[in-house]
Amino acid sequence: MDSDLSLNRRKPTGPLISLVPMIDVMLILLVFFMVTSTYLNLDMIPALAQSDRPAQASSGQAGSETFLVRIGGDGAPYHRGQAMALDALADEMTARLTANPALQVIILPTGGAKLQALVSVMDTVTGAGAVNMRVVRLEARP
Amino acid sequence: MKITRPTPRRHPETIIALIDVVFFLLVFFMLIGRMDATAPFEVSPPTALTGADMPAGGVTLSVAADGTMALDGEAIEPDQIEPRIQALLTTQPDVLIRINAHRDAALRAILPRIAQFEAMGARDVVLVVTPPGPVR
Repeated sequence: MDSDLSLNRRKPTGPLISLVPMIDVMLILLVFFMVTSTYLNLDMIPALAQSDRPAQASSGQAGSETFLVRIGGDGAPYHRGQAMALDALADEMTARLTANPALQVIILPTGGAKLQALVSVMDTVTGAGAVNMRVVRLEARP
Repeated sequence: MKITRPTPRRHPETIIALIDVVFFLLVFFMLIGRMDATAPFEVSPPTALTGADMPAGGVTLSVAADGTMALDGEAIEPDQIEPRIQALLTTQPDVLIRINAHRDAALRAILPRIAQFEAMGARDVVLVVTPPGPVR
């Protein structure tokens, strides 16, 4: 009588890795990112471009029509001494740009005006289709 | 004779689904969240409709409504800005300079700074704006 006796070594069971610590770490990381994340939708407006270089700006611009907008300390735009609402400025800009698409717009803000006033005027001018826009400022003579 | 109903065997609730969901949420917040250095004061950028997408990288100069400034989240005195930016421009001439100013900041605190950066050789200076939307 044959007996087929085989002795197999029992496979050692690997160490049981608990998933609980991993879940804890992931939850902590999740809460961290949820709390520290900010969701401001930020855009940008170029404040300095290569074409702003004085050497380039002075060439080829002579004789072109300009449209000067001054921004008062109250934030209102002024054109030819008259305060204008932004809508009226947009209409005026659109009419002038229709006649002359290469119209150069110069914005002269007062130092006491707020940034929002300047950005609103730049926004209006750009929205009207102006492609030549410059912001200038007056410097005190030393 | 007592016949007992066998207790229904509970299916082991798999925890893998929970881990998957948490992991996806984690990745979502890691990708969406901005980890930029924030200013040590409140800065509400001006609103604009014609803003372009913000490029990544660069250095951020924050300006509070009262003119207080911070460079990359660290408060800085105005007279320290020029040497810091100059040193940066020496090593990275094409570095992007973002001016993240409060909408109520006076232009006299911002425009001379832009002219200063231009004189130092900066080529890329942008104003941070935000599109108008619901009141946050």
